[in-house]
Amino acid sequence: MPVAVTHVDRKTRTATVALRGDLVIPTAQAMYGQLRGLARRRDVRGVVVDFAGAGRVDSSGIAVVTLVQRMMARSGKRLELTGLGETHRAALELVKHAGVAAEPDNVVPTGLAERIGASVLGYVEAGRELIALVIDIGHQTWQVATRKKALPKGALVEQISRMGADALPIVALLGGLLGTTLAFQGVVLLHRFGAGQFVADMIGLSMVREFGPMMTAIILTGRTGAAIAAELGTMRVGSEIDALATMGVSPTRFLLLPRLAALTFVQPALSLFATFVGIAGGMLIAALAIHVPAGVFWDRVVERVTLMDFCHGIGKSVAFAWIIGLTASHLGMRTTADATSVGNATTRTVVVSVFFIILVDAVVATFASLGGS
Amino acid sequence: MSDVLLACRDVSVGYDDAPVLAHVDLEIHRGEIVTLLGGSGCGKTTLLRAITGLLPPLAGTVTLLDHDMYAQSDDDRRALLRRTGMAFQQDALFSAMTVIDNVALPLRELTKLPETVISEMARIKLALVGLPGLEHRQPASLSGGQRKRAALARASILDPEIIFCDEPSAGLDPIVAAELDDTLRQFRDALGVTIVIVTHELASIRAIADRAIMFGDGRVMATGTVAELEDSADQGVYNFFHARAS
Repeated sequence: MPVAVTHVDRKTRTATVALRGDLVIPTAQAMYGQLRGLARRRDVRGVVVDFAGAGRVDSSGIAVVTLVQRMMARSGKRLELTGLGETHRAALELVKHAGVAAEPDNVVPTGLAERIGASVLGYVEAGRELIALVIDIGHQTWQVATRKKALPKGALVEQISRMGADALPIVALLGGLLGTTLAFQGVVLLHRFGAGQFVADMIGLSMVREFGPMMTAIILTGRTGAAIAAELGTMRVGSEIDALATMGVSPTRFLLLPRLAALTFVQPALSLFATFVGIAGGMLIAALAIHVPAGVFWDRVVERVTLMDFCHGIGKSVAFAWIIGLTASHLGMRTTADATSVGNATTRTVVVSVFFIILVDAVVATFASLGGS
Repeated sequence: MSDVLLACRDVSVGYDDAPVLAHVDLEIHRGEIVTLLGGSGCGKTTLLRAITGLLPPLAGTVTLLDHDMYAQSDDDRRALLRRTGMAFQQDALFSAMTVIDNVALPLRELTKLPETVISEMARIKLALVGLPGLEHRQPASLSGGQRKRAALARASILDPEIIFCDEPSAGLDPIVAAELDDTLRQFRDALGVTIVIVTHELASIRAIADRAIMFGDGRVMATGTVAELEDSADQGVYNFFHARAS
C-alpha cells in the first residue's frame, strides 16, 4: 500500500500529499478516497501531490489524478503535481495530449409516457415490417409458382428432412405418451359408468382435432421455429443476408420460402403421425386396462371421427405451421448485429409462436363449437 | 525480476497431434516490440494461442513472466494472464455492450475500484487509442479500424506488462494502420509495455518492430532486427521481405 503523508498548511490553506510506494490498481481506491476527502475540505484551497517518493504509477493512478483535478477545478480549487519522475511525466503527458472525452451530462431519465410511446412505436414498426415480409413472401411464392424463379436446388428436400424426418422420434414418443395418458384418464372415468369402450371416441376425436396438431406445433416451435430464428439471426450478424441482397438474390426466396414450404408440408404430416401414434397408445392402454379389443377400439374411432374432423385438424396444422414460420422468419430477419439479439429472437420466436398457436386454437374451438362441428 | 518476459523452449504447437510449428525457441525481453511474422498458415497465430494460454503446446515449455504457464493451476494461470493483454484479430468485442463497457469489463470483473475511477480509466484508454467521444457507441457502429482500437484499449486496460496483438493492422487502410502502429509505440514508450505482434504486414513490421522472428516450413526461420532479416542470406526470408514468390 502507498503511504500518503498529508500535511495541511493553515496559512496557505494548501494540503501537501507525499506519495510513497506504487500508485497502481490495488492501491488506487484508497488514494482516490484520500485525495477526494482533501478536495472536499472547506479549509483546503489547493492540494499538492508530491510524487518524489512514488514508485510505479499506472492508468488507475493517472485516472485518480485526473478525476481529482477535474473535481477541484469545478469548485475553484487547484491540484498541483510535484516531484514527477520521467516515467510519471511521460504517462501524464500522453494522457494530456490524448484528449480524454468529458463525462457526458446526466441524461434525463425516460418517463413512463415516453417508454409507453417508444414501445407502441416499436410494435407499429414491427407490424409494418411483418406486413412487408408477408407481401414479399406472397410475391416470391407467386414468382416460384409461375416458374419465373425457382427455389434453391435441393433446399426444400433438405428442410423437409431436417424438420420432418429428424423430428419423427420425438413426435412419436410424445404422441404415444399423450395417447396413453389420455387413455388412462378416460378409462378410469368411463369404465366407472360401464362405458369403457367409449374411450376410443374420446381419444380419436381429441387426438385428431386438438392434441395431434397442438402438440406437434409446440414441438416444432421449440425445435424448428427456434432453429430458423437462430439461423437467420446468425446469418444477419455474419452479413450473409446482406451478401445475398448485394448479389441481387432475394433472401426471402432463398432462405425463407424453402423453410416455410417445408413447414407447410411437415407440420400436418407430423400431426397426422402423432395422431395415429397417440391413438395406438390409447388402444394399447384400453386393451390392457379394460380389455377393449383393438378391432373394437379402431371401429369406434373410425365411426366417430369424420372427414370433417380430419380437415379441422389438418387445417389448424397448416395455420400453426404458418404462425411458426412467419414468427421465426420475422424475428430472425429483424435480428441486429449482436449476439444477444440472436438469443432474444430465438426466445421470442418460441414465446410468440406458442401464444398465437394457443390463441388461434381457442378461437377456432370456440367458433367450431358455436357452429356445431 | 527477470528481463525475459516470455520464453518458449523447444515448443511444438499444432492441432490433433500434428505440429504446425516444431522446436520453437524464442525469448521476448521487457520493453521490446517484437513481431512474429511469416506467410499465411505458417503457424504464428497458433503459437500465439499457445503463448496466451488458449492452446496447450504439443511439446516444450512456455514461460510467461517467470512462470511455466502450463504447469500452473487454472487459477494461477488466470492470475498470470491478467498481467497480459490480448487484442484479437477479429477484435472480439462484446456486441451487446457499448464501447466503454467493453473496455471497462476487465476492471469491473477483476478489481474493486470505484465506478468513477473505472470509467475514467476506460476514457483515458479510449483517448490513448484515438477514440475519444465514441464511448457510448455499439461496436457494430464502428469502422474496422475503430473496432481494432477499442480492442487494443480493452487489452491494455489492466496495464499489462505484455500485450499480444494478432494481426492488428489486417484489413486497415495504410493511414489507419500507421496510426495504430504509432499508438502501439506510444504504449511501449510511455507506459513501458512489452508488445508482441503477429503480422505479415511489411509496412507495419518496418515501422515498429525492434526485433522480428520469422516462421516458415514449420520452424523458426530467422530472428533479428528487421534490417538484419531484410538482408538475410536465407532465400525464404529474403523473398518474404522483398515480396517475391519463391
